[in-house]
Parts: sequence; structure tokens; C-alpha cells
Amino acid sequence: MSKNNSTDHSFFLVIVGLLSWIVPGAGHLIIKERKRAAVIFVTITGTFLTGLHIGSVGIVNPEGAPAWYAAQILVSPLVFIPAGITKRSKHSGDLQEMHKYDVFGHPESIGQIYTSVAGLLNLLCILSAVYMAHSGRGELIGEEEDE
Amino acid sequence: MSSSVFELLASFTNPIEIGTDPISMLWMFPLLAAVALIYKAVQLRVMFMRKYFREVFILFVSISIFIVLIGIVLHAVVYFMTR
Repeated sequence: MSKNNSTDHSFFLVIVGLLSWIVPGAGHLIIKERKRAAVIFVTITGTFLTGLHIGSVGIVNPEGAPAWYAAQILVSPLVFIPAGITKRSKHSGDLQEMHKYDVFGHPESIGQIYTSVAGLLNLLCILSAVYMAHSGRGELIGEEEDE
Repeated sequence: MSSSVFELLASFTNPIEIGTDPISMLWMFPLLAAVALIYKAVQLRVMFMRKYFREVFILFVSISIFIVLIGIVLHAVVYFMTR
């Protein structure tokens, strides 16, 4: 492999990884794994939104629960939106506004587990997409076909 | 934006009610389904949908049975330690 080809290949892997993070399943879509991409998109997005619905945006809390947030952010950069909402409310200065998104008990723990597991599963998908792109999937065995 | 969209967005600003009863344990099953779906999606070399969903179902049932068994064992341990 020439130096130029090697640079292009590395750049392609970075693009696949980034796309997989930005939109779950997009990395697989770009390497022509359409069914896999659809399953990943629906499952990751559905799991994350279910968690967010259970616990509200308050469970995405970069200051109060940084370890959970580190896993949640793996779903997509769009997670910055609920994080920003929670952060802005905490720093508003108004007592009522500061506790607007507080969540406790089972809704908090179940919501955090759902959203964080969605993030960790997406990490698995990012690695899978990059590995498949590296091993030439979509070029070697062609597009996926049904039985 | 229509009112239904606002209602949908508002549903993400308040947590839903989940009691601290054994029924709340049922929340693990949708998560197990998600884990099975993603694990098989990245594991299978080629996605034949019928085979894929069969394998997802087998994995989901296996994990569920295993977790329920662990729950029973732990419950029995607590029962014998505290009676």
C-alpha cells in the first residue's frame, strides 16, 4: 500500500468512526451495511430516548453524574443539548429553576442505565464499523443480500 | 410547531413514575433486548434477517433465564441468611 493510499485509508476510517458517533448506524451505512445500520440506528436511538423519557433530561447531568455522562455522550454529540439544558438550569441562580430537572429514585437510576448502556452499545458499533471499514467490508463481499 | 410536538417534548422534562416494587424489575427486559439486538448486529458476518432475529431471540431468552436464575439464587441466599 503506497503512502497516499495509506493516508486515505486512515482518513476514511476516521470518517467512518466520526459518522458512527454523530448518527448511530451511519458508519455502517457508508460501508454499505444498510440492514445493520438500520438496526443499530433504531435500537440505539430507541434505547436512549426511552431512558430520557423515563428519567427526563435531568439524568444527563455532566456536573452531578460525570461518570454516567461519559457513557451517555458516546450516543451522539446531540447529547450536548440535554446536558446544556441541565447545566443552564443548575447555573440559573433561581432556586426553583435550579431544581427544575432534579430526578431521584428508580426513574433516575433506570434512566441513567438505559442512556449509558445506549452509549456503550454505540461504542461497540463505532468499533465494529471502523473494523469492518478497515477489513474492506462492502468491497470484498459486496452488498448484503437476503436469503 | 403543533401542540402535539410540544406535548412530546414536554414528556422528556418530567420523569415517569416507577415504584420500588418487584414489577419495576421488568424494566430490564427492553434493555436486554437492546443488548441482544446490537450484539448480534455487530457479531454476524452477513445479515440474513431471519437468522439474525432467531439468534437475537435465543440470546435474549438465554440472558433473561440466566438473570432470573441469579435473582432466585440471591433471593434464597438472603432468605436463609436473614430468617
